[in-house]
Parts: sequence; structure tokens; C-alpha cells
Amino acid sequence: MGAEQPGSTETVLSLVGVTKRFGPSTVVDRVSLSIGRGEVFTLLGPSGCGKTTTLRLVAGLERPDAGDITLRDRLVASASRGFSLAPNQRNLGMVFQSYAVWPHMTVFENVAYPLELRGMKRAAIRDKVARVLDLVGLAGMDSRPGTLLSGGQMQRLALSRALVYEPDLLLLDEPFSNLDAKLREQMREEVKILQRRLGITVLFVTHDQVEALSLSDRIAVMSNGCVEQVGAPRALYEEPSSAFVRDFLGQTVILRGTVDSAAAQVVVKLDGALAGHTLVGRPVPGLTLVPGSAAHVAIRPEDIEVGLPDGGAAHANRVPGVIETLGFVGDRYEARMALGGELRLVLHLSRARAWREGERLDLGLPPARVSVWPA
Amino acid sequence: MAGLTEAIDARPSWRLELGTVLCTLLLALVALCVVFPLVLVAIQSLQVAPPGQPARYGLDGWRAALGEPGLRAALVNTFTITLVRQLISLPLAVLIAWLLARTDLPGRSWIEFAFWAAFFLPPFTVTLSWILLLDPEYGLVNTWLAKLPFLGKGPFNIYSFWGIVWLHVLTGSLTVKVILLTPAFRNMNASFEEASRVAGAGGLRTALRITVPVMAPAILSVLLLGTMVSLQTFEVEQVLGLPFRFFVFSTSIYDLLVTRVPRYDAATALSVVILVAMLPLVFAQQWLTQGRRFTTVTGQFQHRVQPLGRWRVPVLIFFSVLLLTVLGVPVLFACLGTFMKLFGFFHIADPWTLANWSTVLADETFLRSLRNTLVLAAGTAVATIVVHSLIAYVVVRTRYAGRRLLDFISWLPFTVPGIILGLALLWLFLGVGVLRPLYGTTTLLIVAGVIAGLPLGVQLIKSGLLQLGAELEEASRIAGATWWLTYRRIVLRLMAPTLLAVGMITFVGAARNIGNFALLTTSANRPLSMLQLDYVAQRKLEEAVVVACIIMLVSLAGALVARLLGLRGSVG
Repeated sequence: MGAEQPGSTETVLSLVGVTKRFGPSTVVDRVSLSIGRGEVFTLLGPSGCGKTTTLRLVAGLERPDAGDITLRDRLVASASRGFSLAPNQRNLGMVFQSYAVWPHMTVFENVAYPLELRGMKRAAIRDKVARVLDLVGLAGMDSRPGTLLSGGQMQRLALSRALVYEPDLLLLDEPFSNLDAKLREQMREEVKILQRRLGITVLFVTHDQVEALSLSDRIAVMSNGCVEQVGAPRALYEEPSSAFVRDFLGQTVILRGTVDSAAAQVVVKLDGALAGHTLVGRPVPGLTLVPGSAAHVAIRPEDIEVGLPDGGAAHANRVPGVIETLGFVGDRYEARMALGGELRLVLHLSRARAWREGERLDLGLPPARVSVWPA
Repeated sequence: MAGLTEAIDARPSWRLELGTVLCTLLLALVALCVVFPLVLVAIQSLQVAPPGQPARYGLDGWRAALGEPGLRAALVNTFTITLVRQLISLPLAVLIAWLLARTDLPGRSWIEFAFWAAFFLPPFTVTLSWILLLDPEYGLVNTWLAKLPFLGKGPFNIYSFWGIVWLHVLTGSLTVKVILLTPAFRNMNASFEEASRVAGAGGLRTALRITVPVMAPAILSVLLLGTMVSLQTFEVEQVLGLPFRFFVFSTSIYDLLVTRVPRYDAATALSVVILVAMLPLVFAQQWLTQGRRFTTVTGQFQHRVQPLGRWRVPVLIFFSVLLLTVLGVPVLFACLGTFMKLFGFFHIADPWTLANWSTVLADETFLRSLRNTLVLAAGTAVATIVVHSLIAYVVVRTRYAGRRLLDFISWLPFTVPGIILGLALLWLFLGVGVLRPLYGTTTLLIVAGVIAGLPLGVQLIKSGLLQLGAELEEASRIAGATWWLTYRRIVLRLMAPTLLAVGMITFVGAARNIGNFALLTTSANRPLSMLQLDYVAQRKLEEAVVVACIIMLVSLAGALVARLLGLRGSVG
């Protein structure tokens, strides 16, 4: 353990065309993924997008209706060959959303159980359990019943139980969702440190984008059973390839218009209240824009440059706005802006300057940060 | 997590084809023991030739069941009694459950246990106890009241419609509802009530406008269950109805069967009528419990209670009187009755004796019956735990295609009077060659007991399994354990209290069961519950009371053990 870098070439898990149906609905639809050794790979998406079912397919808790799943060069499930290896034959570790700490066992017994199943000697078990409990900060709690732990401790226990037998892959099913905000952040850090230290490969399922962005090496955004886009957190955030990914990750400001010309850069004439303004942006790879067709101009609010109306303009990509309401929240101002009296968006303004409601501002949209989408 | 629905739908499906085969075997076995006998009943209702003559098919039985005034009256009586007892017991049970679960009533956990104990009292014993008090001629209450100047004669007559209703409310209707509703009320989210209080409603208004409507699914479910159970009863009408020729379904069926020329056709036609009447109730019950209509009331919520304030003393008095009636009187008088020279005659000189006990305990028949009962009850309990937990597991945890059907079949024994289930099993065991040697054995009674207990046992284990959460098992599978190892080390260990408690309930149920066994017993396998009836038939009432008292003590011990094992009733 430990030496490999994230994203090294060895593939730990691969899914090829995996499909799962529950009755008439297809919950997982031809999903293909491949996870490298030492990588933290996240399935991110809203409720019902199929991410948990994908995880359960990997775990062997569900059988795929189509497709193959391979774990470390070993085919563990294949719909075409009609077999699916039982979960106990896959050597995986899993932390459940509810932690699934066995209430009739002590902390020690919970962690020792998988080692016992692997026929390890008592002394070795004691050693190993002590080491892993120490690692997660539960040293000295061996004889405590599993149910008498706090939420954070239960999660540490579930984590140590999943790690103690050094599984090929660690599955995390929304492990932080039952913790309060502060503890959640702390556990996230701890898991990250632990993962970096042990170099374990992790498949992580969450609907929380902050968790996903901060923990993952790569993320697969899922929607309606399909993988929408796979990529590093920053690439996904800055260069989403679909409107779903764009809107699911972070905030987006959308301005409507008509394509004027499309080349390496796209020129869009805005409609409605902002009619008369023209914006330039980059096209999204793979999506075609025809002059005359309706388009959406998208930008992250934090990329908008706020200037005064008479200030010198670095580029021509700008629209006017008026501060409607202004709130001071400590480290910054939150301003609700009206664009052309119609569109509304919330911007964060620096407290370096005093702003006032009703003030007219000039909003600059750097062309490199603006993407243009077919409406 | 992708929401509740996915969590429920996404049950493990790792069982291989072998699992499907085993599930199908189980389904076939249960169908053979439950559905096949019921089909036999339906066919038999068209077979009109008297026993011993060649089969002849016709509608005479149906004509009799629907046309003969006596049998029509029995139909009407059954539905009237059912309706009246539900009307009386339901509001009372809701009130009691609310008081026990949602108020600061002192000693409420003890009171709840007292209802548990009362639920375990055998109806037959309770009936005998109340005869001592309310017999029109000799009943203690009547003789005391008769001494009052303005009353010439005691006002109460237990051998009447209201006498039967009274006993039903005490023995079955009220207690079972209280023990099922109290935990449901306890699990309700207190913030519903608090929001109403904050909005300005008083305690009573909150209870009527918020608590009861929120609990409506649970209450309805208990009502359906109560209705089904109440159509089963037999002993109370048999003892109290006969003297004034008052028949209900089960007793007229018994009457038709236990005569010189048994009228199987009419008896079975009557049974089919009741089965058809019950099926909608079963569907309604399944619909209520399947659609997750309980989501608002389950789960862990902070449990805050409502102070009773000035109502404290009146409520305590209410409960004292109630518990005296449902528990105190039956237990006390069942014991007293065993020491009477002439059962029920308090006014003769020197009424007390120990002779009844010494006679019974020395009776060879009693000892044989006692042994039969112990073997029967223990055997039924063990068999029930194995069979019912398997069925419950398949229904709750697998995606086996026939699991809904299995669940439905497990309800069916509730839809026919116990005595008809007994009759159907009799045909099954006499009709199928390989099973014939079982006739007259305790094994046959154990099979009957396991089948009769299916609805309750499977439901209790199912709700236990649902609370267990599938992730505990899945975690074990992923940690490397096989299905069987997981079942042994996780499921059985965690379910042990529920399973033992179900076993205890079954033990008690088998020890006091009359309806299911009435037609299946011979002198060789006769248990105590039938012996007491035989004593009554031989006009040895004193001996009957001794046996009834013994059964009652066994039942109470069972109640205590089940409670100590931590079983709480729950709906669905």
C-alpha cells in the first residue's frame, strides 16, 4: 500500500455497459467506468440518479441485467454469462449510510468479524484490530457496545471495519450524510488523510457537490441512470459538457439570445430586457450552434467582473445591472442584481468598497469564462 | 442516498437459482397446508350426500346455509356481535393507547404490561370466572344486588347477547387493540401534537383533531385485524350462547358437525360465506401495511408526554377499575372457582374444598392431557419459529417472485373460523394417503397450530425484520460472510428476542387453543384445552375449572416471559 500515485495505470475496477432495471424503470443505464489504483472516484448526482444502485452492483448486492464488472482483472459479474459473484467473494470494504454497526457486538467484535471470517488467528486479530482502531482514533474503546457510540465514532468504527482486511476497493455510500455540518467537514478531512496515507482505492457515492469536489480525484456525474460526464473536479466545474452538469455543479447565470455567428468564438445577440447587447463566448465542444438559432449564454457568478459604469473596459463583453437589495454578511456583501430590469442574479461583492442599493454597475463577462449553449 | 423508495426496492438479490427453488418449495408447502384445505372446504360444500354414502353433488348445503332461518340468524348474529364489539372496544382502545403512550400517567408501563397479561388470559377461563359473578340465579353480583330493597332479582344475565358482547370486549377486542396501538402511538412524532398545542388547541382537541387522524392508518389496521380475529371466536358463544339457543357462525358450524348425522355441506357452505366476506379485509389490511403508510409514525422521535394535570386521579381510578375487570376478576375467580364444591354456588353451607384439585391431579386422563399439551405447545412453538421466520424472511428480504403470494397466503388462516380450519385439515390428513397415519397424533395438532398461528407469527417477525435494516446483513456479506453465516450470526442473533417471544405466544396459544383442535383430537392426543371442554360436557364443571385455571397460569407465565424478552406489539 501507499507508493502508487493517484491515477496510476493499474485498473482496480471497471464497469462495461452495466445496466440495472427494477421492473419497468431502468435505474442504471449502460454505465461504463474505470477506476485506477489509489484513486478516489466519486459518483455524484441527485436522488434517484442510480449512483447508489451502481455502488450496490459493484458490491454484489445487486445483479446487473446487462454488462460486465471486473475487479482487479477478475470478472465478478457478467450478465451475458449469467453470473454474479456473491458480495462475500469480492474482497471489498463498504461503509454504509447507516454505518450498519452490529448492535449485538462490541467495537472489537465488529472489527474482528471480517478477520475471523478469513480464518485469522486470535492473537493476530487482536493485533490488527488494535492497530486499525488506533488509526481511526477509537483506541481504548474495544469493549464498548457498538450502539453506545456517537455518530462520528460509529462512522470511524464502520470505516475501520471496512479497512481492517485491506480490501481491494473501499465503497463509501453517502457516509457523511448522517453527521452534522461541523463533524461532516472534520470526517471528510480525516477520510482524505487516511486515504492518502494508505493509498486505498475508493468508490464514493454522494449527492453533495462540496464533498465530491473536495474529496475526489475524479468524479462521474450521473443523471437518470446515465453517466453524464467524467473528469477531475476542476475540469467538470469549469468545462461542463452538458447543461445538466453545468447546472448541477455550482451556480450558473444564464442569459438568453440568438446566435449571430459561430466560429472559434460565438457571438450572441441577447433577447428580452438586454436586447441590443452582444456577448462573445466560447462554444461547448460537441454541441453545434447555427447562426439564427436560440442560445444560452452561461457564466459562473464568481467569474463576473463588477465595475463602475464609467470605468475603463478591458473588453466589450459587458451588460448593465442595478443593485436591488444589498446585505452585509460579514466577510462580503451579497447583492441581488437586476439586469435590464428583468433578470435577477446574486453576486458577492467585496467589502473593500461601500455599495448602496440602487447603484448602477457595469458587469463584465470575460469571454474565456463565457460558454454558449444551444437553448 | 437515493431516497427511501430505492432503499426499499433495492433489496439484495444475491440468492442464486438454488434460492428460488427453495422459496418455491416453501411456497408450495404453505399452499398445500393452507390453500388446498380451503379448496377442499369449498368443494365439500357442494357434496350433499351424508357421510358414508357415495358422493353426490348439489346445492342443498348452500340452500341451507343461506335459507334455513337458524343459520341465517347465526349469520346475522355474527355480524351484529362483531359490529357491536368493535364499536365499543375501538374508541376505548384508542383512548387507552393514547393515555398509555402520550401522557404522564403514573405506572403506565406496568398498566401496559397488565393489558399484555390480560391478552394472554384464555377466553374460556375468563368466561367461567364471569359466570361466577353474573349467573342470573347464583352469580355473586346478582345475589348481592338482589339484597337491595328495590330490586327483587339480580339485574344481570350473562347468558344473553350483552353478556357475550361483554366477554368479547374483555377477552379479545379490547386488550389486543391496546397492546397493538400503544406502541404505534408511542412512535408518533411529537411535533405534530406540539404544533397543534402551539397553534392554540387544548390537549383533548389536539388528541381528537391531530393525534387520531395521524394515527388513522394504524387504527384502521388494528380494526381490520380485530374484526378478523373476532370472527374466529368460538368458546364464549359455545358456553354462553347455547343455554339460550344463540348461535353465531362458528358455533352453528360446530353444531352442524357434532351431531349424529354431520351436515358437512351446510357447515362448509357457511364457511365459504365467511371466507368470502373476509377476503376484502385481508386485501385492505395488506394495502394499508404495504404502501408505507406508516412512514409518518415510525422512526425515532423525541418522546415527550402530555401532563394529565387534574385528570390524573380520575384517569387512575378509570384504569384501576378497568384492570380489575379485565385482569383481576378473571384471575381471582378462576382460582376461587377451583376450590368450590359446587361451581358457582357460594351460598351453600361450607362451599370450599380441595377435592377438585386432588381429583384432577390424580386423574390418569389429566396427566396424559397435560403431557400432550406440553409436547404440543413446545413442538408448535419450535416449529412456528422455524417456519414463520423463513416465510417472513422470504417476504421481507428477497425479491422472490412469489413473495407477495406467500404473504397473502399467510393471512388466510385468519379468514376462516378455527373450527373449519380444523375440519379442512382433517380432510387433508384423511384424504391424502401418506398423511393418514398422522391422524390422532400430536404432530397433526402441531401442524394445525403452526398454520393457525401464521398470520400473527409472520406479521410479528416481519415487523421485527423490517426494523432490523438490510444494511446490517449486507455489511456482513461484504465483510466476507456467506448467506448462511450471515443468517446465523447476524439475523438470528438480532432477531432472537422477537423469535423467542413469538415462540412464547405460540406456546400459550397452542396450550389454550380449542377451535382449531376441536375436530382433530382423539382420546390419544387430547390436550388440556379439549379436556376442559370434555369435563364441561360431562357436567364436571369443577374439574373443568381446575384445568382452565392451570391453562390460565401457564398463559400468564408465558405473558411474563414474552414481555421480559422485550416483545412489543406492532402493527403491520
